[in-house]
Amino acid sequence: MIEPLLKLSELNVGFNEDLVRNLSLEVHSGEIIAVLGQSGIGKTTLIRTIAGLIQPRQGSVQLHLPEHGGLGYIPQRLGLVRHASVYHNVNLGARASLPWFKGNREGRASRVKTAISAMGLKEKTSEPIRRLSGGQLRRVATARALAQQPKLLLADEFLSELDHTTVDVVIDAVKTLTDAGNSLIMVEHHEENVEMIATRIWLIENQELIDMTIDEWREKMEEEE
Amino acid sequence: MRRGFLFAIGALLLTAFIILNDLVDDWGRLSGGLENLTVFIQESMWPPNWSVLEAQSYPVCENNIEFFCSVGYIGMIETIKIAFVATILGFIGALCLSSFAAKNLMPMRIAFPIRTLLSATRSLPSLIWAIIFVIVIGFGPLAGVLAMTFYTIGYLGKLQYETYEGMPSDSLEVSKAMGLSHPVIFTSVVIPETGNHLLSQLMFMFEYNVRHGTVIGIVGAGGIGYYISTYLKLLQYDKVLALLILIFIVVIIIDLLSLVLRSFVTDEGDVRKPKWLSFLMKYMEWSEGKQSTE
Repeated sequence: MIEPLLKLSELNVGFNEDLVRNLSLEVHSGEIIAVLGQSGIGKTTLIRTIAGLIQPRQGSVQLHLPEHGGLGYIPQRLGLVRHASVYHNVNLGARASLPWFKGNREGRASRVKTAISAMGLKEKTSEPIRRLSGGQLRRVATARALAQQPKLLLADEFLSELDHTTVDVVIDAVKTLTDAGNSLIMVEHHEENVEMIATRIWLIENQELIDMTIDEWREKMEEEE
Repeated sequence: MRRGFLFAIGALLLTAFIILNDLVDDWGRLSGGLENLTVFIQESMWPPNWSVLEAQSYPVCENNIEFFCSVGYIGMIETIKIAFVATILGFIGALCLSSFAAKNLMPMRIAFPIRTLLSATRSLPSLIWAIIFVIVIGFGPLAGVLAMTFYTIGYLGKLQYETYEGMPSDSLEVSKAMGLSHPVIFTSVVIPETGNHLLSQLMFMFEYNVRHGTVIGIVGAGGIGYYISTYLKLLQYDKVLALLILIFIVVIIIDLLSLVLRSFVTDEGDVRKPKWLSFLMKYMEWSEGKQSTE
């Protein structure tokens, strides 16, 4: 039996009170999961709990990932180092999965250059982050994840603020990751983006998470319309 | 909000006054204080005696420019050297320790002992450190360097870890989630994000150490303080004033250097790169205004 990348067991997430309750789910290699639900319902809190940044109120989060750089994370505010260049930020991703004590300096440089080119940021390589536009910043954060090549990528609204062309570029780039067997859990508000990329939906309603396939979600949407 | 702020300031001022009133047993001593100060400045300090910038009679000056053999130059250069070395060593020492003292970088069980160590280092003023090192290794600049280095570690270490704790959490959270090691997070995320503050603190500490060179010199730890101490003992206050003005000028130069250095690591518009021409223009405007009033 293939071991899941992520296993949630009877998990309750929240701060002072439970936002989402009783989650028992598994995520396997190559899956793209869109987390949907109204604002403030607990999507970001769930992602941050999986990332290990918030303690679960109950239950456990088990990650079966490589020791170095197995988990990637793009938060809503992107978490870029503002007073550093695009290269520096993307290189952090490569350094997470290829640490210096494992050598392979050329491998890191190659990954960084490929990721920067894939996001169309070649001319901005040495530009400081603080001089970039909102859309460019999202592409840098995506490039950082591409350079890291995490087995499981958590992305919180990483397609917002992007124009349609750039959304296509970013989705194509992320698909290269998932085609290679990596998984993505993304918080997303735009249905068209979910249609384009997701293979599975986690819909949060009334403190409960409904796990469904993309086809089941489409049927539910049609019924509601 | 505004009313609350004004109330808080008022309450703080009142508390400070009550405590001050408790400390002062005779407010009458204030009367005549200004007169005493005026007499002291007029009769003993003013005008400054600029002979401190002329060559000393011994040892014989072998330089064509007398200024380089003067008490002011020799003392100031030695103070700047002591302050520079101590600031650099102290800054590096503080960086190493502070990265383990910040609560957002390390668990409290590691951060707390390091914080205690920094507090212990800081709780002895550099003057006491200077006395200790003068006892241990004798008079001279090395005692001054060591005294200032220890104090710098304690002082800068606290400022640094508080700066790290105040930085935005998102880049740190991403780095931790990605599994980056502590040295990588510190050197590649924390230092770039806090660079402006760290440079500002470094330059402030250098300035502080230059100013403090006057104090530690008094106990024999080298620098311009040695000469100030000598002139104080000889009641030559006009020479003391000239040396203090010299220190003031050096402090202003360090402040300008800080402005230039920090302009490289700030958001555009926060701290602009100063244009040297504008300083010159301002000086010329000022000197022209002064001449016209004369």
